[in-house]
Amino acid sequence: MAGLSNTEMTQPRPQDQYRAIGRLRWQLFFNSVRSTRGTVELLSRLIVGFMIFFGGLGGAISLGFATWYFVSENKIEFLPLLLWVVFMFWQLFPVIATAFTETLDSSSFLRFPLSYRSYFLIQLAYGSFDPATALGTLWLVGILIGIGYARSSLVPWTALVLFTFAIVNILLARLIFAWVERWLARRRSREILGVIFFFMVVGLQFVGPLLSRYGESSSGNIERYGGKITLAQRISPPGMAAQALIATASHSMRQTFFFFALLCAYGAAFALVLHVRLRSQYQGENLSETAVVASASRTIQQRAWNVPGLPPQIGAVLEKELRYLSRSGPMLFTMIMPVVMLLIFRIGPGGGPESEGFLVRMPDLAFPVGTMYALLMLTNLVYNNFGADGGGVQFYFVSPVPLSRIVAAKNLSHTVVLTGETIIVWIAVCLLYRPPLFDVSVATISGILFALPVNLAAGNLLSVYSPKKVEYGTFGRQRASWTTVLASFGIQFATFGLGALALTIAHSYGSLWFAALLFLPLAAIALSAYSLVLRNLDRMVLARRETLIGELCRT
Amino acid sequence: MDVPAITTDKLTRRFGELVAVEDVNLQVAAGQFFGFLGPNGAGKSTTIKMLTGLLAASSGRIEILGTDLAQNPVEVKRQIGVVPEGMALFGRLTGAEYLNFVGRMYGLDRETASNRTVELLDFMGLADQPRKLVTDYSHGMQKKLALAAAVIHGPRILFLDEPFEGVDAIASGTLKSMLQRMILRGATIFLTSHVLEIVERLCSHVAIIDKGRLVAQGSLEELRVGVEAKSSTDGPESGSEKLNLEQIFLRTVGGSHRVEQELSWLG
Repeated sequence: MAGLSNTEMTQPRPQDQYRAIGRLRWQLFFNSVRSTRGTVELLSRLIVGFMIFFGGLGGAISLGFATWYFVSENKIEFLPLLLWVVFMFWQLFPVIATAFTETLDSSSFLRFPLSYRSYFLIQLAYGSFDPATALGTLWLVGILIGIGYARSSLVPWTALVLFTFAIVNILLARLIFAWVERWLARRRSREILGVIFFFMVVGLQFVGPLLSRYGESSSGNIERYGGKITLAQRISPPGMAAQALIATASHSMRQTFFFFALLCAYGAAFALVLHVRLRSQYQGENLSETAVVASASRTIQQRAWNVPGLPPQIGAVLEKELRYLSRSGPMLFTMIMPVVMLLIFRIGPGGGPESEGFLVRMPDLAFPVGTMYALLMLTNLVYNNFGADGGGVQFYFVSPVPLSRIVAAKNLSHTVVLTGETIIVWIAVCLLYRPPLFDVSVATISGILFALPVNLAAGNLLSVYSPKKVEYGTFGRQRASWTTVLASFGIQFATFGLGALALTIAHSYGSLWFAALLFLPLAAIALSAYSLVLRNLDRMVLARRETLIGELCRT
Repeated sequence: MDVPAITTDKLTRRFGELVAVEDVNLQVAAGQFFGFLGPNGAGKSTTIKMLTGLLAASSGRIEILGTDLAQNPVEVKRQIGVVPEGMALFGRLTGAEYLNFVGRMYGLDRETASNRTVELLDFMGLADQPRKLVTDYSHGMQKKLALAAAVIHGPRILFLDEPFEGVDAIASGTLKSMLQRMILRGATIFLTSHVLEIVERLCSHVAIIDKGRLVAQGSLEELRVGVEAKSSTDGPESGSEKLNLEQIFLRTVGGSHRVEQELSWLG
């Protein structure tokens, strides 16, 4: 019998490993579309992908045109603006739209005998195949074509500079992701980061309106700070790339080389910091939750909520849902965004009655717009009822409560949230605009009575047929089901279309009461559809239980 | 005559071409501590999922305490407690919130659910971190919480899928003592485990499934006698010592051949 020592050990070749990983990606993709659901998911993905692509193409054409204009009109000093657009998109899009981004779990390949070099390259390659890189590259090509049309002699240098700029962007994006991944490894930091991210997104909404409103009155300050910002941006990667191109255009080769070298130095610095992070990953750092030391041993008696008039099981699910939602970033987003949106429209561009925000000019629309926006935000939760339950969904199948009752309780929690939200919106409208007129309030509530059951019915079906596990405490590494994304577009389009039609008819008759009258039969139809879905839900869920459990228990 | 706790009649589950469980006829009497064994992929988890309503049977019949599971699933689920493979926990609740929730789902009033929650958390050693979310629990703590949730309503039958997997010796001791107490009070426990020593120590009756078919069922002594009888007809017995469960299991599923098998490159 041969011993272990005699076993011939083969040295793995990096190219074989790359090939194996490429094949793995392909097999994972191929296997994911083998089921009907996978095929539908692929189709949805393709449709959304085309939409993104055409959006990106529009961006490339706009940037190309703007570049052509700046270069041919000798306004090349505006070039940094365009590169900043590309840079900001490239770096922010993957963080904001995590739903579109697929990242690699760094630990998954570490058990194989990969060299560090291979590991680094694989991490980089994974980061290069994402929508941000695709669109960023497309936009840079647009800029290159714009410059080429204006002055073809600049093309070779521009191509080199923009290529280097693309590499710098890829390195920085990977660097940000690698560090974010490190912070996201712990739940607490995930949640803190989620809240910071949330406030950042909310804050960004105010930039435009505030600038428009107070821009002129504080033009002196803006000029002063603008000058400083212009100087500061020159030392940033897009600034360096732009300076290199501007210098090329003015045939100052020394400056061109200088700025290009600094751009390369940025790339090298990002690569170095990324290396530090990836090296730690490669060496097997431990990012698991640290054990929290108990402060004192104590048992607390805690009673379940007493919700009068509700069966205990429905009360229990309602309590559980509301507790879950109160501990989630998306919920915070859902609750605050309608008010934020009303505030943004209230601030408006300013500068006289003509340029006020449209809700200031038409305050009667504030309540319906705010409420509909609240409903729209709620669909995040409604369209994936079981998503946050994860493996807990198994409990519903072993508990002595029919699934339809559990889903009804979940829908009740959504209704409670929307009711609370509607009240908040009403108060916000009173404070920011004026108290909504009685007929406006009645028409809005009638509209909600129609739109809510439609969304709940559709949400229940999508939750069963297209479930997706989500982690409320995380903002990263979550992909919405593409089928759900596409279906929600269609449902919102139909619902808001019908709503707009009812309002138009009411407007033509000169009375909003007419809209309320139109909404009520629609609400009755929607409620019947909702109850039909709910009645058939047990059968549907039982037929789909394996897929549902399989999807939600996936680790 | 007592109603059997679990009865299956020609229970079958197919996944496309694959027959994961085929014509399984189980008989578990009330009050038994029943071990359900089998090699990986033999059909243990599929069977337990069918018995608890997590998976539909392709054909065959399941009766729990005399009630047909397909006909009256709610009534059956009221009387059973389950710790499924994935534990079925809700990560973003605290342990107490989770147990209260489960208690309410099984129809306990608020007072009872709350009292039992406190008792269970104390018993399982989970009471000292009341604000900790379940998602932050260690694997062993989650296992204990899952077990606590499975017993909060006082089930007459408890289904446990690999309850001792990933659990430390202290937690394992706590779980075992609790399960034994439940048996003394007349409950039936149906468990799958790969740890044969634990099954041998705890279970009075055992069934072995291999490649989807039930290959043995009975008390430990009955299984031992059966295997020894088969061995004596196959050839002379090497020793006179009593066979332990591992030996019975290996001989029943033919695993002893696999143990002796060699891998060409490992030697």
